[in-house]
Amino acid sequence: MAALFVWLEGTRLAITVRDSLTLTGALSAVHLVGFTLTTGGALVANLNLLGVLFPGRPPIEVTRPASRGIALGLTISALTGLLLFAPRATVASVNGIFQTKMLLLVAAVLFHTVVHQRVARVATSSSMRRGTAAVGLLLWTSLALAGCAYILLE
Amino acid sequence: MTLYQMFEWLEATSLGVLVRESAWGFPILVAFHLMGIMLSVGTLVWFDLRLLGVSMTGVRASLMYRRLMPWMFTGFAIMFISGFMLLAGFATNAYGNVYFRIKIIAMVLAAVNAFLYHRFTERRIVQWDDAPGPPTAARMAGLVSISVWMTVILAGRMMSYTMF
Repeated sequence: MAALFVWLEGTRLAITVRDSLTLTGALSAVHLVGFTLTTGGALVANLNLLGVLFPGRPPIEVTRPASRGIALGLTISALTGLLLFAPRATVASVNGIFQTKMLLLVAAVLFHTVVHQRVARVATSSSMRRGTAAVGLLLWTSLALAGCAYILLE
Repeated sequence: MTLYQMFEWLEATSLGVLVRESAWGFPILVAFHLMGIMLSVGTLVWFDLRLLGVSMTGVRASLMYRRLMPWMFTGFAIMFISGFMLLAGFATNAYGNVYFRIKIIAMVLAAVNAFLYHRFTERRIVQWDDAPGPPTAARMAGLVSISVWMTVILAGRMMSYTMF
């Protein structure tokens, strides 16, 4: 894996990003736009599952479009994130905050895809819905905090 | 007093000095600022998409606004308070920064757009509240809102790379 990161850092793409502060800034800005779409979708989906947005409607009516928003935001964030990661792959990959951010990202996406969407689709108890929403909110908020921490403390 | 002098004064206040010189003040404020943006713009986008008629069209527009508003406004409050404190710390740097100016112009446009929507378009909401496709004025309000808030985020992030 370490050899892969060294190779990644030496690619022309990584060098182009590393040599341009404006390009790095632009990528970081688009990365934040993507992440705002992701967290917004996650917030709306989980608040609704918690029963505080549109309690009279089937949760899937909100979860379905919100999941599309999360997917769009994640696609934007992942593409720009990869370009931002490339020039600093060897340093970032051993950074504890970056590793935490990636672990939380995987956990939040898996939980949303496997648990949240299923709970929102099938008729479950309100305590099950609220519990799922609470875990979802915790995961996405932790991910956002880890993202902020990585920007500031790297 | 010119605007630049006001910025100099702001930077010299105890708040400005505290933000600039404390080890943790700046990163904590930036973290609050980013979380405020995610909360406010992240939820506002869903109301804008409803106005555009592209998402959650089965939910009444007025209900959507009412339910999302507390989250949006909490986010905006966090964003504006932390943003003002960050500005106090680095006001003269921000003054000459082109992205700061773009960000301020975009925020003014966002405020004008919101005023026009609430003053005129929302007045006739009973006519289109349930409609999956809102009228052109509402769609325009949604489109302008998404565009200017995305501009605010992009310009704000670019400030970090061009100010210091």
